Amino acid sequence: MDLFGPANKPEIRIQELTGERIRFILTNTDLSMANALRRIMISEVATIAIDMVQFDLNTSVLADEFIAHRLGLIPLDSTEADKIKYPRDCNCSGACKECSVELNLHVKCTEEDTTKDVTSKDLVSHDPRFTPITEGPKDAGILIAKLRKGQEIKVKCIAKKGVAKEHAKWSPCAAVAFEYDPFNKLRHTHYWIEEDEKKEWPQSKNAQDDFPPLDDEIFDFTAKPNRFYFEIETIGSMKPEDIVMNAFKKLLEKISSIQMGLHSNDVPINGREPTRDVF
Amino acid sequence: MDYSDNADNNNNNENPDENDSDLEVSDILNFHTEKGTVIDPQSMTFSISGEEHTLGNALRYMIMQNPEVEYCGYSIPHPSEDKLNIRIQTTENTTAINAMRKGLEDLKSLCAKITETFCEANNKFDEKNSIS
Repeated sequence: MDLFGPANKPEIRIQELTGERIRFILTNTDLSMANALRRIMISEVATIAIDMVQFDLNTSVLADEFIAHRLGLIPLDSTEADKIKYPRDCNCSGACKECSVELNLHVKCTEEDTTKDVTSKDLVSHDPRFTPITEGPKDAGILIAKLRKGQEIKVKCIAKKGVAKEHAKWSPCAAVAFEYDPFNKLRHTHYWIEEDEKKEWPQSKNAQDDFPPLDDEIFDFTAKPNRFYFEIETIGSMKPEDIVMNAFKKLLEKISSIQMGLHSNDVPINGREPTRDVF
Repeated sequence: MDYSDNADNNNNNENPDENDSDLEVSDILNFHTEKGTVIDPQSMTFSISGEEHTLGNALRYMIMQNPEVEYCGYSIPHPSEDKLNIRIQTTENTTAINAMRKGLEDLKSLCAKITETFCEANNKFDEKNSIS
């Protein structure tokens, strides 16, 4: 298929893939496409996060809203986030099993002269698919609050599906690194220097995977970027390769919804015939 | 990096009285909400709500690849308005709507292609690492 010219036979080479990060090179595609991918991964891949907290009891030194905020930021396993509905798409009035997950937290400190840590491990989820993430049995969990003797926290949390566009707690990525043209051959950037550019500006890690300019290379002002270096680091709620796959899925969804919008516009516009029938 | 959009130079599209059909500025089509009238099928501004640079720039690029398209640019008129305008001007051989349709279709297949490529790369990577 050569619909899009020679610049669009995209290729991907994965350089590194672990439980929490992926590094890959995307080649032979346009900057706009690579950037769309980057933007979607940062802000539009859906995950599950605590969105509502009901305080039954809080005698800790921390204010309710402070604890609620901390609870919201705890990463929950979102590998099956697509099995759950967005609250706005659900028929229920508040929160039901199809659009939310309930988690409970009840901790009381009873010991003298020690502080008790309240961590994400104390959260009890009603749905085993959506639990706070842990890194093996030795993981102490994420600290939420510290209690002294007699202090107690009892809350009910409702976790919902959302995207980071609304609140960053729903972002599956801790960081998305994106680079092209590490040698600045395209001159898209200007390096401020004192004496010597090579000495003062260290090369990026991606430079070893790129093609260094020749000493007498002439500036090609028609050149376009076509090699993009990605590195995605997750917060643990989703596998890195799933984030990339879900980003593509989301982009396809966006296009389809516009196609549907365009289709529904085929009905006569303001009483006129659709314009495409003019020709 | 500069993300400045190819600003829509035809300011006459932005008239608030766009529903007044005797104004020649009313060639705005909104995919999701109101409908405009179309005077010239070769040059139209589409208005899409709920989308931003993510889709706007990629779609603009795809539409520009069409040799029948003379001009394509997008803009987000105001950051607090959930709106994306795409202006398309084509030659006599096609219409702006058709150019838009083709652009969307092409973008979809490119996206599907990259997804496929990524799956392959992922499988290849898994294989290589399970052997070693």
